[in-house]
Amino acid sequence: MSFTSFVWEIGNISNKSSRKRHRLRRGQAHITPEASFSSSPGSPGSSTVQIEQRQWANLPPELLLDIIQRVELREQCWPGRRDVVACASVCRSWREITKDIVKTPELCGFLTFPISLKQPGPRDTPIQCFIRRERATSTFRLYMGLSPGELSKLLLAAKRVRRTIGTDFVISLVGDDFSRSSNKYVGKLRSNFLGTKFNIFDSQPSRDSTVCSSCESCRKTHPGKVAPRVTTSNYNTAKISYELNILRTRGPRRMQCIMNSIPVSAIEEGGTAPTPTAFTNCLDEYSSPLLDSAGRRPQVGSTSRSMQNVPLVLKNKAPRWHEQLQCWCLNFKGRVTVASVKNFQLVAAVEPSENVTIAEQENVILQFGKIGKDIFTMDYCYPLSAFQAFAICLSSFDTKPVCE
Amino acid sequence: MGSTSTKIKLRTSDQKVFEVEEAVAVQSQTIKYFYENGCPGSVIHVHSVSGDILSKILDYCKKHVNSAAGKEDISPEELYEWDANFVKVDQNTLFDLILAANCLKIESLLDLTCQTVANMIKGKRPKEIRTTFNIKNDYTPEAEEAVRRENKWAFDMLGV
Repeated sequence: MSFTSFVWEIGNISNKSSRKRHRLRRGQAHITPEASFSSSPGSPGSSTVQIEQRQWANLPPELLLDIIQRVELREQCWPGRRDVVACASVCRSWREITKDIVKTPELCGFLTFPISLKQPGPRDTPIQCFIRRERATSTFRLYMGLSPGELSKLLLAAKRVRRTIGTDFVISLVGDDFSRSSNKYVGKLRSNFLGTKFNIFDSQPSRDSTVCSSCESCRKTHPGKVAPRVTTSNYNTAKISYELNILRTRGPRRMQCIMNSIPVSAIEEGGTAPTPTAFTNCLDEYSSPLLDSAGRRPQVGSTSRSMQNVPLVLKNKAPRWHEQLQCWCLNFKGRVTVASVKNFQLVAAVEPSENVTIAEQENVILQFGKIGKDIFTMDYCYPLSAFQAFAICLSSFDTKPVCE
Repeated sequence: MGSTSTKIKLRTSDQKVFEVEEAVAVQSQTIKYFYENGCPGSVIHVHSVSGDILSKILDYCKKHVNSAAGKEDISPEELYEWDANFVKVDQNTLFDLILAANCLKIESLLDLTCQTVANMIKGKRPKEIRTTFNIKNDYTPEAEEAVRRENKWAFDMLGV
């Protein structure tokens, strides 16, 4: 083999990110006299700056991937996880690569981007959160973490708004903006007058077709109420109902959640729950809400035909009466420490015909309970999302004089 | 000539020629490949690496070869510290080192340099990352909106 062929080959190997790099290198030869070397990258000035600016953005994707993967692996909890979000915010190529690396909470067990609040939680280990109630402002804040103390990550916040015919809990990504026209708005929980029935509205449809049928169901149940108020896009994703308890004055509540956006097949072997991958563009929705809702109606008919899209139904686990303590008890595995009528554990309520294992039926999907004055824990897992779990817990906060 | 003193000749992009001990040069899998598959004595032209960068890289390889062979009495902690000092360079040099380590296939150096960049990202806001690495914000206004929302959420830490 001749010398020239060596030259040619080694050049080729290094040419993965070929021309760009050569251009850079040539540029660099001009600009790197020892003296000017210390100039910081941000320093303004000559044409050399432009050449420098291109450098890091042009890092070969496989190397950028390697670097961002290292950041992602290192920071698996908040606030370190912010670094991953920061990587996704740098520029388009960084964003693309970061979004590819970050898995959904179902697969990796933790939350990264706000969209992960609308994605199903992990299957095995629940995500542990806590809710802080602020009575003075009627706000509820959902934080990630075991309990307050350290600098906790605020996940979602809700504000209770009393209406003449019921209550709304407006749910937002931030703690200081509860405007329904804001892009921080992610959905709401709406109760009836008695506080016995609730609807969870999502600001965006889930990717699954089942949600379309729920769109219809919301129109069916509140034809007069919802339709004229569709100033923001709201998709009814679940119904929660508390059983009236008029005769017994003391006793545990009984609640049921019909998750319109989650098919029961999600908890069958090999099943999946709908997983949105991005927030829908709010501006589009707000500018044409009527078109949007009207546009979805034809879809409703077509999807309701497929009868296998039976919604998942959740019910609260019945507590046992403890003779010695003279109270109703549930095993919260140490996560709930204060007796409260609000405490609950949700499991799947399935028909024998449905293909759901016994273990799955016993599995607590959402657990909520009091640990102190105005502090509650919320542990959720697949197939619920943080948003859905939070909304269900909020329903427990609403006063229900007729249920107790 | 004993195998320990065998030299390999490398020519850089700026035509500098380096005579390097075989054991040091073959830390680069790329050079190793060409060395083993080429004619002995010929010059290997590493034309995507400048003399300055190659010289630094050879320092790195030498240090690691010597410490592995026990020629130099250096503890793992000391070597770790030496590595940490080695990558205390300006962003341009770091960038060149990464590309060179990648093209020369020096796994441990690539690892070191990529980790250095990952560490530099730690605790920085997107704007600071852009400034540090001179990256331009190239989002469309719509994408920018989504990015801003994500950031507002991610950096909105309220102590409780």
